Amino acid sequence: MPPLPSTERKPAHKETATETRRSFFAKMGIGGLLTGLAGQITILFRALMPNVLYEPPRIFKIGKPDQFPEGVTFIESQRVFVFRNQKQFHAISAECTHLGCTVKMVQFNDPKTVQIQGRSQQEMQEFDCPCHGSKYYGDGTNYAGPAPAPLAWYRMEIAADDGQLVVNLTEPVGQDFRLLV
Amino acid sequence: MAVQKSVWRRLTWPWKPESELEAGDSIVRNLLLHWFPSQVSLPSLSFRYSFWLGSASAVLFLILTITGIVLMFNYVPSVERAYASVKDIDYVVSFGWFIRGLHRIGAHLMVAVVFLHGVRVFLTGGYKNGSGAGQNRPVNWIIGVVLLLLTLFLSFTGYLLPWDQLAYWAITVGTNIAKSAPIFGVQSRFLLLGGNTIAQGALLRFYVLHCFFLPMAVIFLFSWHMWRVRKDGGLACVDQLALDQKAQKSVPVKSKTYSLLGIAGRRSVHIETALVDEEMYSTHSSPHLTRRLLLTILLTLAIASTMAIVIRAPLEEPANPAVTSNPAKAPWYFLWLQELVADSTIRIRGFTVNGALVGGIIVPTILLGVLIAWPFLDNSSVRAAGIWFSPERRLQNTVFLTIVVLIVAFTIIGTFLRGPYWGFYWPWQTWPTLPKKF
Repeated sequence: MPPLPSTERKPAHKETATETRRSFFAKMGIGGLLTGLAGQITILFRALMPNVLYEPPRIFKIGKPDQFPEGVTFIESQRVFVFRNQKQFHAISAECTHLGCTVKMVQFNDPKTVQIQGRSQQEMQEFDCPCHGSKYYGDGTNYAGPAPAPLAWYRMEIAADDGQLVVNLTEPVGQDFRLLV
Repeated sequence: MAVQKSVWRRLTWPWKPESELEAGDSIVRNLLLHWFPSQVSLPSLSFRYSFWLGSASAVLFLILTITGIVLMFNYVPSVERAYASVKDIDYVVSFGWFIRGLHRIGAHLMVAVVFLHGVRVFLTGGYKNGSGAGQNRPVNWIIGVVLLLLTLFLSFTGYLLPWDQLAYWAITVGTNIAKSAPIFGVQSRFLLLGGNTIAQGALLRFYVLHCFFLPMAVIFLFSWHMWRVRKDGGLACVDQLALDQKAQKSVPVKSKTYSLLGIAGRRSVHIETALVDEEMYSTHSSPHLTRRLLLTILLTLAIASTMAIVIRAPLEEPANPAVTSNPAKAPWYFLWLQELVADSTIRIRGFTVNGALVGGIIVPTILLGVLIAWPFLDNSSVRAAGIWFSPERRLQNTVFLTIVVLIVAFTIIGTFLRGPYWGFYWPWQTWPTLPKKF
C-alpha cells in the first residue's frame, strides 16, 4: 500500500497551549448553557408581569351633570370627590399622597376662612387622612401631617355620546381647572 | 404484654438510652436526632444562657406549618370568597376558630421570639468567633437577620389573606412604602401586586408567597443556620469554657478529630473537639438535650394554645377600598414603622421628602445595614464572646439596647396612644365619636 498523502493541513487558526479545540467547545457549551438559563429565568419573571389588567377603567362616566347636588359628591368605587359649584365642576382624588389611604371629608357647619399660599379662601370642608393624620384644605392643599403634596386634581369632560360627566384619572390638572357645563 | 413492651421499647429507646452505647447510638441511628452532636457541653444546655429562644421559634414555625396546612384546606384565595371562607373557618368549621387563633397567635409570638432571640445573641456577643478552627459566626448572624426579615414578611403576607378592612389597609400602606423606594419603587409594587390596585392578583400573589415561597426560604435558611451552629462548634458560651481550660493547662492533650480519616481534605461538620477534658464538661445529647428540647416544645405549644383560647383572632368588616378604617393601624410589630412614617416627612424650604421614603425605606435600610455590618465592626476580644453583658462590649450593648428601647417605645405609642386620624390620646382619654360614613 502506497503511503497515504499527507493529511496534515494548516490549522485555521493557531492552536495555542491555553486554547485547544476542546477548551473552546467547553467554553461555548458553558456560555450557551448560561445564556439559556438566563433566558429561562427572564421568561419566568416576565410571566409574572401581567399583560392585561382587569382593573376598573381610569377614564369613566359618573352620570349626568344635573344628577349632582351642589357641593361635594364622593364616587366610592373610584375614590374621587366631585365638586359642583353652580355650573362649574371639578374632581379631587381621595387618595392620600402620603401612603394612599382614602381621606375622609369633614363638613363644616359654617364656612371657614383659610389662608392658602397667601390667599384667603372660604372652605365648606376639609379632608383628613385616618392612617397617619395628614390634613388637607377643601381645595386639596396639604397643611398638616406627613403628606408631602396636595391631593391630585383630575380632568373632567362631557361625554360626546350621552352628555354624562367623565373623570379622567390618567390626566392630572392644576387647581384652577373648572369644567363649565 | 411482653411483646408489646418490646415494641414500645424498640420505638422509644433513642429517647431514653440505658447505657453509654445506646446514648451514642441513639444520635447516629435516629432520623430525628442525627443532626445533633452526640455530646453536648453543659453551659450550652443552660436555660439561663439562651432561654432556648431559637428552639422556641423553630417550634412556633412547626406549629404555624401544621395549623397553616389545615387552614389551606378551608381557605379560598379569591376576592369574592376569601372573607366568607375565613368567616366559615371562625364560625362553621369545627375548632376552626382555635386553629386560626393558634396560627395568628403563633405568628405574633414568632415575630416576638425571633426578635428576642436576636437580642439575646447580640447581648451575649454570640455572633463573635471564639477559639475554634473554621468558625464563621458572623455569617450565621447575617442568616439570622434574613430569617427575621422573612418572619416579618411572612406575617405581612398572611395579614392580607382574610380580606377584611384591617388586611386591606395594612397592605395599602405597606405596598405604598415599597412604591416610594427610589428607582424600582413603582415596578416592585406592580410586581408585588400583579397590577396597580390591590385586587385578585395581589391576593393570589400574597397567598403563594405566604404558603409556599417564604416558608421554603425559611426552611432552607433554617437548615443553613443549624448547620452553621454545628460547624461553629456550638453556642459561643462553649468557647469560653475551652479558653478557660487553655489558660489552666499549658500542655494540651491531643484532641480527637471527627474528620473522615484523611479522605476529606478539610474538617468535617463536627470540628475538632474544643474541650480538653470533654467527659468532665459535657454530657450525652440523648437524653439531656432531647429532654430539654421536648420541654421547650411542650411549653411553647402550651403557651400558644392557651393564648389562642383567650385571645380570639379578630375579623373586621369586609375590605372596602372606599372607606379607610379610622384609625387604620398596621399589626403591632409594624406600628413603630407606621409611627416613623407618620413623623418623618421632611420639609426644607418648600422641598419635601415623603415620610414614606424616610421612615419606610431609608431608616429601616440603615438599621438593617448596621445590623449586618456589626459583627465586622466589633473588635472586642474573644473573651467577650458568649458572655451576657460583657464589660468589654458595654458601649455596644448600650447603643443596641437604646435602639431596641426606641423601637419598643414607638411600638407602644403606635399601639396604645394613637387614636382617630393618628391623633395622640392618653389611655384615659376617650376617643371622639366620629361618623362611620360621611
